[in-house]
Amino acid sequence: MIPGEARYLESHEWVILGPDTGAATIGLSEFAVEQLGDIVFLELPAEGDEVQKGRAFGTIESVKAASDLYSPLSGQVIGVNQQLLDEPELFKSDPYGAAWMLKVKPADEKEFETLLDARQYQQYLKEL
Amino acid sequence: MSEVNKTTLYERHLSLGAKMVDFAGWQMPLHYKTGTVQEHLATRKHAGLFDISHMGRFAFSGERAVPFLQHVLSNNAAALDVEESQYTIIPNSSGGAIDDAYLYRFYEDEYLLVVNAANRQKDWNHFQQIRKDFKQLDIIDRSDELVMLSLQGPLSRKFLTGVVDSGLLPEPIRNQLSTVTINGVGVLVGRTGYTGEPLCFELFINSKDALMIWDLLIDAGATPIGLGARDTLRLEAAMPLFGCELGLDAEGNEIPVFAEPLAKYAVSFSGLKGDFVGKNALSRQFKALEKITDRDYSLIKDLPRRIMPVALMGKGIARPGNKVFVGDKLAGYITSGTMIPYWETEGEGLSTRFLDEHAMRAIGLALLDSDLCEADTVEIEVRGRKIPAVIVPYHLRSEAPPCARAILEQDLFKDISAPTAEKVTTKKVRRLLDKAIQNHTWRQRECINLIPSEQTPSAMTRMLSVLDPVGRYAEHKPMKAFLEMEVFFYQGTDFILEVEELLKDELLRYLGCCEVETRLISGQMANTAVFSALVDYLNRADRKAEQRRIRRVMNNHIIKGGHLSAQPMGALRDFVARDPKTEKPAVVNFPVVGDNPYKIDTAATQDVLARYRPELIILGKSVTLHPEPVAQLRSFVRQLDLNSVIMYDMAHVLGLLGSYFQQPFEEGADIVTGSTHKTFFGTQRGIVAANYSREDLRYQLWEAVNRRAFPGSVSNHHLGTLLGLLMAAYEMNYFKDEYQKNVIDNAKAFAMALHDCGLDVAGDKEVSFTETHQVIVNVGYSKGPEIARRLEENNIIVNYQAAPQEEGFTASGALRMGVAEMTRFAMKKEDFKTLAQLIYDVIAERTVKEKVMSLRGRFVDMKYCFTKKDFAHIIEKLHKLI
Repeated sequence: MIPGEARYLESHEWVILGPDTGAATIGLSEFAVEQLGDIVFLELPAEGDEVQKGRAFGTIESVKAASDLYSPLSGQVIGVNQQLLDEPELFKSDPYGAAWMLKVKPADEKEFETLLDARQYQQYLKEL
Repeated sequence: MSEVNKTTLYERHLSLGAKMVDFAGWQMPLHYKTGTVQEHLATRKHAGLFDISHMGRFAFSGERAVPFLQHVLSNNAAALDVEESQYTIIPNSSGGAIDDAYLYRFYEDEYLLVVNAANRQKDWNHFQQIRKDFKQLDIIDRSDELVMLSLQGPLSRKFLTGVVDSGLLPEPIRNQLSTVTINGVGVLVGRTGYTGEPLCFELFINSKDALMIWDLLIDAGATPIGLGARDTLRLEAAMPLFGCELGLDAEGNEIPVFAEPLAKYAVSFSGLKGDFVGKNALSRQFKALEKITDRDYSLIKDLPRRIMPVALMGKGIARPGNKVFVGDKLAGYITSGTMIPYWETEGEGLSTRFLDEHAMRAIGLALLDSDLCEADTVEIEVRGRKIPAVIVPYHLRSEAPPCARAILEQDLFKDISAPTAEKVTTKKVRRLLDKAIQNHTWRQRECINLIPSEQTPSAMTRMLSVLDPVGRYAEHKPMKAFLEMEVFFYQGTDFILEVEELLKDELLRYLGCCEVETRLISGQMANTAVFSALVDYLNRADRKAEQRRIRRVMNNHIIKGGHLSAQPMGALRDFVARDPKTEKPAVVNFPVVGDNPYKIDTAATQDVLARYRPELIILGKSVTLHPEPVAQLRSFVRQLDLNSVIMYDMAHVLGLLGSYFQQPFEEGADIVTGSTHKTFFGTQRGIVAANYSREDLRYQLWEAVNRRAFPGSVSNHHLGTLLGLLMAAYEMNYFKDEYQKNVIDNAKAFAMALHDCGLDVAGDKEVSFTETHQVIVNVGYSKGPEIARRLEENNIIVNYQAAPQEEGFTASGALRMGVAEMTRFAMKKEDFKTLAQLIYDVIAERTVKEKVMSLRGRFVDMKYCFTKKDFAHIIEKLHKLI
């Protein structure tokens, strides 16, 4: 189930504004998790690092291959999911909840509006 | 092959929820529902089933099949007997690999070569190109008609056995083959695989039957495994994948075949191969490898880099193509790498058990500069970051069936901790004495000892063993200049001379022969001395050339109970020639009876003898239930006019030699060897005996045995235990009639009682399962070590034993027991019946330690020895002296 309030990149990262004001939460869509297969390793930036919309911020690795992770928004990293680094299996069990990757303080919240909404993302998946 | 191919099992993969991918033009399962990690783990703990029908299968037949295979493959195809297989490379002329492959010989006149799916067409074209020079050769592509499944993992044997209606699985040795019937259809089975699992099977099935057999194995409990886990499993086993470890490297250069460690086993320079594709280049690489192995890098340009396993020590994952550095110097590239799972374990050694939790580790294979060595650290560049890693010898070990065991980098290079130095010496001394007394009391008064290779020497024998000649030297040899008089090299040895003469007399009387050598200090040393003497004897006409080895030896295979010391891996190693055809030690084994693998099939033996004409025949076993067919062998040797030496290693049954068991020299043995402390009463030593008279040509062999004893094997021949052995020989000659009869009667009663308890006793019920001191009980595949440990906790000491169909001692499903020692402590048939029930109770997980201790408590005084009351005064004196 794709959460309606989230927005997406074509590279399958999701972002929601909140839950705290002035913060955005970034994760990876269930579709991408399924495509990757067993996720065994994750590399994320540290708190305080800057991320830029459309630019790689980290790497996710399955048994088979490594893939870059792209940021849906620009801003400063204010939270990193340490538990996920230790237990990448969380991606499988709760991709839109416990498997969040970063919390970011957006530089420009308007960037959010430029991303795919849930309906558009679903349509995009159908065309893949 | 441009269109997408589907295997016979395509629909089944879909219905099992597989994620399909295109692989080398084939739609193949990448993984099923649970994913690669779980599939990897399931194979290591249970059993995985793989569809590998996408691989190519070419059949070669016709008169020129073997010469063709010798020419296009790197291994020695002529070495394969029917029902054997081998790993091989398809080399190109420059010493690179066109492909790697497996060659199977299921039938006398057909060879089946399995090649990689991606190289199928290329290999086929290569063969077609070369076959023009080979008339009378048929090559058939059987890939479509034969489906290939792979069943791997600790439970694979159980699952496969469960579905087989008839036929035997291959002998429990890697690369052995057989044919079985499953649900009415014939299936070819090989003990091969691509996972490193010690229990591994690959099945060749007619394509119409494949789905049925796949489903049967899945229903039996096998987990379907996709290509993802196939790759992680082979990586963990450090097996090469063409395109990664073979073929072209990251810089586009050809990887020399000898860069791959398995090339040592896959490339043969046997004279039987003649000139084969790539021979010169491979030979250059091999010479370089020999030097590199000695850390001599003068030829390194012929083999600049080699494949080595690496384990990552920092966070991250190495991937193919990643650069590897030593300092700032580029030292090579990762060829395969990922993060793989392994089962967490508890316990140590043989008690190691897989838990339900798993962990992950990042490992790889790398093509690295040949001057790098195991334990060297390197850095792997991953996305601009350098991750420290270490070169390890392996990631996985397969020699402890039924499981493959993951070996972690942090466990390999542990610092050896300094010995905890106990400062106070008196404390250490007291502790040692206390412990020794404790152990002695436990083993002598509280335990029932059923180890068939052990015996307690009598009190007198033990006391004599520590008296003065202990610690002395008495080197001596007969000199022809003095008419064969023994000349001693040290003074003060008259007593030893006398003891040795008396011991010889006593033993010759016991053995019924004319020569005995008593200076060897173990049974294994006795065998080594005989093998060495035979080599010396065979070369007696030529004292200049390199000595030739024994051309052919016939023995009992170790998995059929043969002595370790009679195997090429044991004492025979340096004395037996290599068979030029098989490139293995020239040993042929006695055939065994179909329904009793512990008995030599004498009728079939005659044909084997005629075919191989061994120079040495070694009878005798360490798992021994029957007399050996000495008389029949003597008559075959005579009929076939063979020049064979018939040797009987009686280590286990030396103390049974006589009318109740067998008399080897009367039956025609040339040489008997043995240890003196199993059924015999002695201290721990070895002897060689022979029946060659001085007029006999073979007397020269006997003289060689004497020389190989001294100075060949011993300088000081442990004079204390020699003295003890004389007492043991007196005891044996005096008490043997009653003792030998009681041992065999007790063994039979014990075996019958175990059988009556419902246990599975091996052997022939017609003879009450045994005709020796031994009893073998099957307790269930791989349960032997655990049950033996539980028996020890209940004060019953036995040893676990791999039965003939089992893969190795860690997978033992049997217990080996002997009644000799407890018979000597006066246990009778009724007492062994009581003991049988106690053993049954322990197997049924009941605790009987108290009962065992009270049983043993009734049998602490030794029989069949000279007792105190006749010699009280002199025993007193001995005690004081010591």
